Amino acid sequence: MHIYIYDSFVNQKKYDSTTAKIETRITDLGLNGKIVRLGMMNSVDEVINNEIKKGAKTIVVVGNNDIFNKAINAIAKTSQEITLTKKIPLGFIPVGKKNNDIAKFLGIGFEESACNIISARRIQTLDLGLANDNYFLTEASITTSGTNLEIDQNYTIEIKEPGTIKIINFPVNTKLPKNFYCCAQDQILDLYIEKTQKKKLFSGNKEENSLIPFKLLTVINKKKPLIIDETKKLNTPVNIQIAKQKISLIVGKGIEI
Amino acid sequence: MFTKENKKIDIKEAETVIGPSIRVKGNFHGEGDIVIEGNVEGSVKTNNYLLVGNKAKIAADIEAGNAQIGGDITGNIKVKGYLELTSSAKINGNIETSEISIEKGAILNGKCIMTKQASSANQKTKEEK
Repeated sequence: MHIYIYDSFVNQKKYDSTTAKIETRITDLGLNGKIVRLGMMNSVDEVINNEIKKGAKTIVVVGNNDIFNKAINAIAKTSQEITLTKKIPLGFIPVGKKNNDIAKFLGIGFEESACNIISARRIQTLDLGLANDNYFLTEASITTSGTNLEIDQNYTIEIKEPGTIKIINFPVNTKLPKNFYCCAQDQILDLYIEKTQKKKLFSGNKEENSLIPFKLLTVINKKKPLIIDETKKLNTPVNIQIAKQKISLIVGKGIEI
Repeated sequence: MFTKENKKIDIKEAETVIGPSIRVKGNFHGEGDIVIEGNVEGSVKTNNYLLVGNKAKIAADIEAGNAQIGGDITGNIKVKGYLELTSSAKINGNIETSEISIEKGAILNGKCIMTKQASSANQKTKEEK
């Protein structure tokens, strides 16, 4: 059975016609299921945990990056809690243009076209990063200013110039140089240190950036938080590693993981 | 014998790249090919290829499968296969390797010991290909 979980903002009146279109398309495709609308009284964690225990076959979240990240965490935590005989795929129907870039990189269109992707059911199993107790699919990032990094408890990294530190599992918001390769199916996280480029006519010397694969990374910054999946802020120190849990996602056609 | 062409890697193939804006302190042990353009203090170890760029500064003992060095190194260098010192290399330390080439202009202050593993290292590289 498909379980559709609507983020609380989708319940606003301005999204009524959008949800009506989605529901019509879902019915047309024969993908009807239970609809759960999030509000003050229920959380994604709670809903997903209960529905998986009740035997849900597919979880579909309707909203933006925020609910998507929460759903990933809920599924990963539930599968840690109970032994699942079969992986529960997560589908995503993005609503609203704001804070919705992960869908694009998963090859998922907006609203009704996302329903067609749910119907096609192309499933990819991807690695997850684990930052303390929080799972993330794409990236974690923090400024280089005031940040100390320790890798595999073996060495530390000091960054001499301003820039951004990114911990990459599935690069969606980082334009990596052609020579740098990160994959969300290799059980490795990569530390990517991107130097802020000065505005010069021929700027963009990507060879000044660094890429280091690691098993365990400790990030410490007394002032700034680490941001995972562009949604959740975590105060440091944060230990980051590849998670044992993986996530099965329903993705669009022809995406490169 | 190795040819210059088949030993050289460039930044495009490396799994680990230490850029010029970072300083690494500690035991830096990588598993794949490593490119170092920044600063390293401690030790560097890989079974694969190590490329040290001409602006890199390393105060560390180095162990690698094969290496091309163009930077400033204070420490001992141990290379199982082939070591190439380019004209910008400045080495203050001892070298132990099976095969070596030193370009005009490179500075080496230390002992150079040639080990007898050249043929086996060669064979291993050929097998890997």
